[in-house]
Amino acid sequence: MIAVRGVHKWFGQLHVLRGVDLEVTKGEVLVIVGPSGSGKSTLLRCINLLIHPDEGDVLIEGVKVNSPKIKPEWVRQQVGMVFQSFNLFTHLTALQNVSLGLTKVKRMPGTEAEKLARYELERVGLADKADSYPAQLSGGQQQRVAIARALALNPKVMLFDEPTSALDPEFISEVLDVMVKLANEGMTMIVVTHEMGFAKGVADQVVFMDAGQILEAGTPAELFAAPKTERLRSFIGKILG
Amino acid sequence: MTNDKRGRIMLPWPAARRIAVNAGIVIGALATVYFLGTLGLYNLGFVAKNFPAFLHGAEYTLGLIAIVIPIGFGAGFAFGWGRTSHRWLLHSVSTAYVEFFRSMPPLVLVVFAWLITTLVVAKNPFLSARIEDVGGFAISMSVVALSLHSGSYQAEIIRAGINSVPAGQHEAATAIGLRRGQSVRYVVLPQMFRISLPALGNEFASVIKDTSLISAVGAVDLMFQGTNLASLTAVSGHLGDLTLIWLIVAFIYLLMTLLVSRTLQGIERRYRVPGLEAAQL
Repeated sequence: MIAVRGVHKWFGQLHVLRGVDLEVTKGEVLVIVGPSGSGKSTLLRCINLLIHPDEGDVLIEGVKVNSPKIKPEWVRQQVGMVFQSFNLFTHLTALQNVSLGLTKVKRMPGTEAEKLARYELERVGLADKADSYPAQLSGGQQQRVAIARALALNPKVMLFDEPTSALDPEFISEVLDVMVKLANEGMTMIVVTHEMGFAKGVADQVVFMDAGQILEAGTPAELFAAPKTERLRSFIGKILG
Repeated sequence: MTNDKRGRIMLPWPAARRIAVNAGIVIGALATVYFLGTLGLYNLGFVAKNFPAFLHGAEYTLGLIAIVIPIGFGAGFAFGWGRTSHRWLLHSVSTAYVEFFRSMPPLVLVVFAWLITTLVVAKNPFLSARIEDVGGFAISMSVVALSLHSGSYQAEIIRAGINSVPAGQHEAATAIGLRRGQSVRYVVLPQMFRISLPALGNEFASVIKDTSLISAVGAVDLMFQGTNLASLTAVSGHLGDLTLIWLIVAFIYLLMTLLVSRTLQGIERRYRVPGLEAAQL
């Protein structure tokens, strides 16, 4: 469903992605792990074209999306994204955050958009927070609103960029619970995370990135139980403390 | 009566509270003028006699404010936006504008605009206009110059406002499929305004009083009326009446500034985000 083929990205002199290949089938959960600066976030952003790859292709259901013929706005409607720092629109209520994309991108009438937005908030367990502003919500609640905002557009795939890294430990599980539920419902997901429990429990595939390349790929059991490279071994050692 | 967090006695409704504060300022100022009058410092009848002059001056000054604030804001918004642009030309032109107008004393700008307009139009053989006919137009150019001066300050306020909206906001807007213009309109602008409003209110309050400089090139505004009355009164040598003139002028400027700054504060309240007060961004 999602294919990344030989993607390269330079930021000035810095070669951030050095030929990355990925394949994610429908309903699959792919977890990307790796040290900071290894290009994980850049790779995610290449998939919804927040960053344009300099070389290589990104395909969604066989369509090459990094092509001048394709509108990036269309691509972003197919791909939902959740950020490390939530990035909720601070001047809008939870409900308005979720419905903005529906009314402005999908051109849905206001009442219909509101109904759907309420339903999405209910899915992440925040029906009662619809009229709260982001600053009135905890980090975990904000991130769940952000997930609802992305889901509302009915994407084919969801990207998560370290969704729990900015959270206080007490709020991590409520966000992971929503993600697990989503995975069980059959959502295709690409998740950058350091939550090894989530990776072991939910991921169908794990890839280890370092210095802009994928060094290892496989099932969670293969990768975490029997790392082949020294890099991954030491990374796992650090993560698990 | 209710009490606030610190135990002070408050009127129960915020709106009533605000009206009471404004009325307090106005009545207090009027009472002071009246009280000084009862002491025999000046003759209050003087105000009644010259009422039309003050009224005309106030009217003219209101007109100046109604021109200077929109033009200044328009210029400030456009060039402030330009300052944040990555396009070299837009950025350079905006920066040059800000640095030039910010570095000029407003009085110099006002006089210069008048002089240059008069020189170009009246001395131009093709236009063959007489200096008397150019007067109104030259004053208009001075008004524009003052507006652009205010605009240069506002451009910096707008630039700071835009820069203080986190990049993640635009990124998130883009990620849900909004086009660039939509992201600016629905996500960046509303937040930028909320952050900029207090500083803009400050600049508006400041430029209201700067309109008095236009009297230097012959505008018949409140400042002109004050100066005119003062020069007539000075002949009689009555210092009390002279003081009264400037008290009245000051009072009218106070009223106008209050009107504008309180309006801005009303807008600020409309843009207020619960849980996110201006100080925290």
